[in-house]
Parts: sequence; C-alpha cells; structure tokens
Amino acid sequence: MLGFLFRRLGDIIPTFFGVTLLVFFLIRLIPGDPIIMLAGERSVEPERYAELQAQYGFDQPIIVQYFDYLVGVFQGDLGKSFVTKKPVIDEFLTLFPATVELALMGILFAVFIGVPLGVLAAINRGKWIDHLTMSISLTGYSMPIFWWALLLIMFFSTTLGWTPVSGRLSVMYFFEPVTGFMLIDSLLSGEKGAFTSAVSHLILPTVALGTIPMAVIARMTRSSMLEVLGEEYIRVARAKGIAPFRVIMIHALRNALIPVITVIGLQVGVLLGGAILTETIFSWPGIGKWIIEAMNRRDYPTIQGGILMIAFVVMSMNLIVDLLYGIVNPRIRYKR
Amino acid sequence: MALLEVKNLTVEFGSEDKPFRAVDSVSYSVDRGEVLGIVGESGSGKSVSSLAVMGLIDFPGRVTADALTFDGQDLLNMPAKRRRQITGKDIAMIFQDPMSALNPCFTVEAQIMEALKVHEGGNKKQRRERTLDLLNQVGIPDPKSRMTAYPHQLSGGMSQRIVIAMAIACNPRLLIADEPTTALDVTIQAQIIDLLLKLQEDSDMGLLLITHDLALVSEAANRIQVMYAGQLFESGPADSIFAAPRHPYTQALLEALPERSEGHDRLRTIPGVVPGQYDRPAGCLLAPRCRYANDQCLKARPEVTDFNGRDVRCFYPLNDQGQPTGMATGETVL
Repeated sequence: MLGFLFRRLGDIIPTFFGVTLLVFFLIRLIPGDPIIMLAGERSVEPERYAELQAQYGFDQPIIVQYFDYLVGVFQGDLGKSFVTKKPVIDEFLTLFPATVELALMGILFAVFIGVPLGVLAAINRGKWIDHLTMSISLTGYSMPIFWWALLLIMFFSTTLGWTPVSGRLSVMYFFEPVTGFMLIDSLLSGEKGAFTSAVSHLILPTVALGTIPMAVIARMTRSSMLEVLGEEYIRVARAKGIAPFRVIMIHALRNALIPVITVIGLQVGVLLGGAILTETIFSWPGIGKWIIEAMNRRDYPTIQGGILMIAFVVMSMNLIVDLLYGIVNPRIRYKR
Repeated sequence: MALLEVKNLTVEFGSEDKPFRAVDSVSYSVDRGEVLGIVGESGSGKSVSSLAVMGLIDFPGRVTADALTFDGQDLLNMPAKRRRQITGKDIAMIFQDPMSALNPCFTVEAQIMEALKVHEGGNKKQRRERTLDLLNQVGIPDPKSRMTAYPHQLSGGMSQRIVIAMAIACNPRLLIADEPTTALDVTIQAQIIDLLLKLQEDSDMGLLLITHDLALVSEAANRIQVMYAGQLFESGPADSIFAAPRHPYTQALLEALPERSEGHDRLRTIPGVVPGQYDRPAGCLLAPRCRYANDQCLKARPEVTDFNGRDVRCFYPLNDQGQPTGMATGETVL
C-alpha cells in the first residue's frame, strides 16, 4: 500500500513538471503584453516600459525566465500577481474554498441524482422509464454549460424569481469568513436567513455544473449495473430468498459502482474546468472567475499559479480515487 | 405426500403467439430423503425447470403448471414475499460455477451470514458461530481464517464448498444441485458429490441432482428423469433405467459412456445437437437424431405413456433386448 502510494507520487512529479512547462509557454503565446495591459488606456513611455520589463524580468531570455519561475515553484513561491501585487498562493487559498464548495455540491448532485437514475434505468431496461432517463442524460451531456446556465437563470431567476441570479450571498449579510465555505460560515455567523440565502445562491450553479457529470455517471451506472445484474452471484443472492430491493442495492450496486468510481474521479477534472465557466456566468468568486480575469489582464503569475494548483488538485483527486478503489474492490486491495 | 410435486410444468420465453418452450409439460416429484437425478444434454431444459421451482424465472419468461407444490403449499400462486420465505430456507439451490456464484465484494462470512439473517434471525454472534459450524461441516480446512476471505482468494473446490454451506445454512428440506461438479476437476468432483450425499443422508433432505454425468447419477440417484429439448423422455428407478433403457435416447446416452464402448475403436456418439428455438422438428423432437425413427416419428409427437411401469415418451419403447417394440422390421427411415 505504501509502496503503491510512493509509486503514484513518483508519477505526479514529472506530470507536475510538464504542466509548468505547458502553462508557462502557452500563456506567452497569447497575443498581448502584460505591461501594456497594466498601463491601461494611458500609453507607456519607452524608458518606463524598459524599466518595468527589467523589474518583471521580461528582459531576460525566456529560458532563463522559465528556470527562475521553476526554482520559485519548487521553493513554494508561485510569484506575485502583476495586478494586485499579492502573492498568488494567498489569493488562491482565499478563493479556493468557494470553488471547492461549488465543485463539491456539483459532484454530490451528480452522484446522488446520476447513480439512482442509472439504477432505475437498468432495472427497468427497455421500458419507458429507461428510455426517459437515458434521453434526459443524453440531453444533459450534450448541453453546453454556458447555455444551460443561462437557460436556468432565465427560467428560475428571471421568470419565476425563485433563486438569485448571481453571487454567493445576499448583500444584506456580512460576516468574516472562518472556513471560506459559505454554507458553514453562514451557519456560524448566527445571522438569521444567511444560511438560506447561501443555499439559494448555490442551487443554480450546482445544477449547471453538475449536469454533465450527472449524465455521464447515470449512463455509466446503467451499463455497469446491467452487466452485474446478469452475473451468477445475483441469481445466487436471490436464491437465498433476499428481497429484490436488497439484492439490487447491496449485491448488485456494490459491484456496479466499481467502474463508476473511476468515472467520478475523472469527472473531477471536468468539474474544475466547468467551474471556470460556471463561476464566470454566476459571478461566483472562486478560482475559475479569478483565472479568467487574470487571463484578460495577462497576469502571468496568477494564470500560471492558478492552473498549476488546479492540476495539482486534479492529480491528488485521482490518487485518492485510486486508493478508494481498493476499498470498494477487494480484488485489487494492495498487498502490505 | 411428496415434498416437491411438479405437474406439467411449462416455461415459455418469447412472444405470446409464438412462444419458445424451454420446458414442456414436465412432471416429477421428490420425496424426503430421496435423490432424484435429472439428466440430459445441454439445452434440454434441466436448469430452467429447476430455476422455475426456485421462482427465479424473470419476465419475459412465463411459468405455468397444473401443480407446483412444496410440502402441500402452492408455490405458484403464493405472494412473492411468502415465497421468498421458502426460497433459500426450505428449498435451496447450488449452482454450476462456484467461481461466479459468490459475490466478489463480500467476505465468505458475510455471504453465509446473510442467508441466516434473512431466515433465522438471531444475533451476530450466533450467526457467526453457526457459520463456523457450517464451514466445518462442508470440510473446509482452517475455517476460522477462511471466514474473512474474499471469493477471489479461494480455489474452485473451496468455493463450491462455501456455496454448499450457504445453501444448507438454514437446514433446507429440499436441495437442488444444478450440475454442482461440472466446473470442478475430477478429483474434486468426487469429494463434492460425497459431501452432498452425506449431507443429504444426515438431514434426510430431498435432493434434486441435475447433471449430464450419467456415471454420477447411477451412483447417487434413487430415481432418474431423462430430459431432452425441454421434454421428459423417460423416468423410473435408477437401476432399472441403467439395466434396460426404454427410450432410444436413454439407450444412446448409455452407449456413449466410455465404459460401455469396449471393443469399439471410437466412443459412440449421438449425431447432431439438441434442437434450439428455431429448428424444432415437426414430429418427435429426437427424430432427426434417432436411429429407429420412421415416418410416424417424423410427423407426430409422441405423448408420455406407461410402459412396463416406466414413463416413456416414444411410439416404440425399447424392450429388454434394446429393440423397439411394435415396429415392423426394416421400417426405419434413417
């Protein structure tokens, strides 16, 4: 188990290295000069421009710049934002809980709706219920997030007025963040109605973000469940006189979930990618929105640091899923 | 009264107007302490008929019968919940392939204790003790350490012992063993059969032994039922069937036994295969493969008749010399 962990950690390091390489050079391919962007509408004089270039190290050859950056990264220094002058890691850590909260809700939505839908479809194979759930999931899978999010806002926020259009909390409430998770902080604050407000702000982004993973999970659960239901041990379980509900929920689902868990792990990456769009649309103050803004301003350290941290989170999540796999599936439990 | 009474059991699949009969009006009974052997080739409906007894035929399969009773209770028309109380407790079943019969995600202990929990209740400690007893009973060495093993850590023979332990956990009165040794190698086969027969004798269970191994039933069974393409072809006491088969199919099966082929260069076989859903002959289902078949056999289907105290489905049952009776000589067409 420990050996396995070390081997997997060993895989992470070259991947991490590759990500720094990719991010560093790709950003510099985007047209636009960060110093000119910083200067804004006022143009900058050539002397001042050269001065600033030297200050940010842009006068160095790009290889040297990359090497300097890499040295910083391995010392835990992601640099400072050009715009806010604050360390990138601090900004990331402040905003990250908001994204985690959204992503967590999204994946919970996806799992708790997707898995039951898949099971329902599988046990009613070929009947209308199967066709209905599978059409829903295909539609969900095919829908672009930004469009789906706008539809949700138009219907539930604008027309029906059930939920707020954007943000994390109504402006009526203010309290110091403790955990950074609005659902928890609003409860801790003790302000009446704050929690309800936080929940109502979360609903639409959660649905928008969770729809694609939900669809993927539902389809995966269905096909995996169908395969398991045809297994001999399901018949044996029924021959023991166990009620059909227990046979499906205990004997079949436990086995059917094994491939689904892999898919859930893979969806974490999709989710964080989707969070960038979702956060922008719903003005959700998380890292997605933060990175998009940094891109508009060519704020290199922020973009690099943000993407690097996201890559790190995705890799860690996949490692956790692999470890989880061993718990669910005794056949691949790693030898001590 | 017989423990299990099956009268004209029919299992159909496919559409209502053009159904496929996997089991066609099969009748038999099993008594307490009796071993009934059901033999036949693959595709003869042996397994399907036993699944029907267990209530494990799912939609779109249709099960009908004039009578399907266990200990006088009508299995076919009782509520599903009541039937589940009998299934797994009074009637238990052992399946063909032990390696796929155990759920890979649960320990041996959990799977045996589950059956106990559903039917017997009791607390966890009692169930665990009973499970240990059962593992001892089915001859598992070092049962304590096997309790927490997962199926993938067990050999085939060991798995089958676990499956048997699971089946006898609630002291069933009838045990259905569907080819319990087919997936095992020969040395283990004998051990498993000995174990089954010992358990059967010890607790006076009825045993329904489904197999295509004639040598096995000849040793184990009191009575034998020969099935072919979903139909009953011949039934009677085991020794008399082996001494003098009345049905040409039984005769051919027996002749195919290696020990009866002495003096022949090759083992004898029955040409062709069991007809499936789409190639059912119009007449007797065996006619295309029967060495005695004549015109009548090709055109009409014989009914089960009583011949010298045995049930036989043939127009021309065989006499003690193994020759068809009531047929003019030289009449065969094949």
